[in-house]
Amino acid sequence: MIDPLAIGLIVLALVIALVSLLTTALNKAMGNLLLVALGVLELGLLIQAGFLIAALVRGEGPEETATLIGYMLGTVVIPPVAAFWGVGERSRWGPAVIAVAGFAIPGMVGRMMQIWQGVA
Amino acid sequence: MSGTTNGHDTPVNTDSGHEAGAAAPSSGNGHGGDGHGIGSGPGRVLVAVYAVFALAAGSRAAVQIARQFDEAPLAYSLSAFAAVVYLLLAVALAMGRRTLALVACGIELAGVLIVGTLSLADPEAFPKATVWSGFGSGYVFIPMVLPLIGLYWLSRRRQP
Repeated sequence: MIDPLAIGLIVLALVIALVSLLTTALNKAMGNLLLVALGVLELGLLIQAGFLIAALVRGEGPEETATLIGYMLGTVVIPPVAAFWGVGERSRWGPAVIAVAGFAIPGMVGRMMQIWQGVA
Repeated sequence: MSGTTNGHDTPVNTDSGHEAGAAAPSSGNGHGGDGHGIGSGPGRVLVAVYAVFALAAGSRAAVQIARQFDEAPLAYSLSAFAAVVYLLLAVALAMGRRTLALVACGIELAGVLIVGTLSLADPEAFPKATVWSGFGSGYVFIPMVLPLIGLYWLSRRRQP
């Protein structure tokens, strides 16, 4: 697992979450900016998943492989589903959906880092 | 919050009518159904939160049951059951199935109250934590708050 990438993903997800909350607070619907940011986040998560899978195949994985794979699949699935679900709602609550995803991703990536380092 | 929901007039969102107007027909739940509107507006956010919890509780339970079911069969089974209820609730809200959503909310509330109380009264029966242990203390009490928000939301969106 590449720590700079993981930390970058956490920061990006948090920024997306905060911008989404702000958009909701300002009573605006989803804009393209949030969608593009979600796309970048998803791309990063896919790259991270690729590195993780490569490491696991080489046998460099941690003990808790199953849990790690579970979190990895979760992070990859959440942004596209959130984008789909958020775009369908043309009101302030669309970006609020994205905020939920934006707060879920950092938690999951953080747990993945812990598992990878064998902390938990 | 001003003008967030519209429990008694129209099923579509009016809180941002200037934007919603063009897209409203495509939202697909403008008419009919016994609980139309419960999956739109703030309901969309609830669906997202329940889905995330279904994913979190479900995948955790799946790993635990697959790897170490014998350690705490009751706790792990309960976690899996909780995940199923969250998923049911998310689907019921998304599809506008009001009765199903109410039942799922009730089960969730009963689950977190019963398991929460039991886990504090008899910790040895729950050697491993579930989503509902200690009233959801492992998940910053969100499992305790979620069913209450769900019930409140369903009562707000009651149609005559």
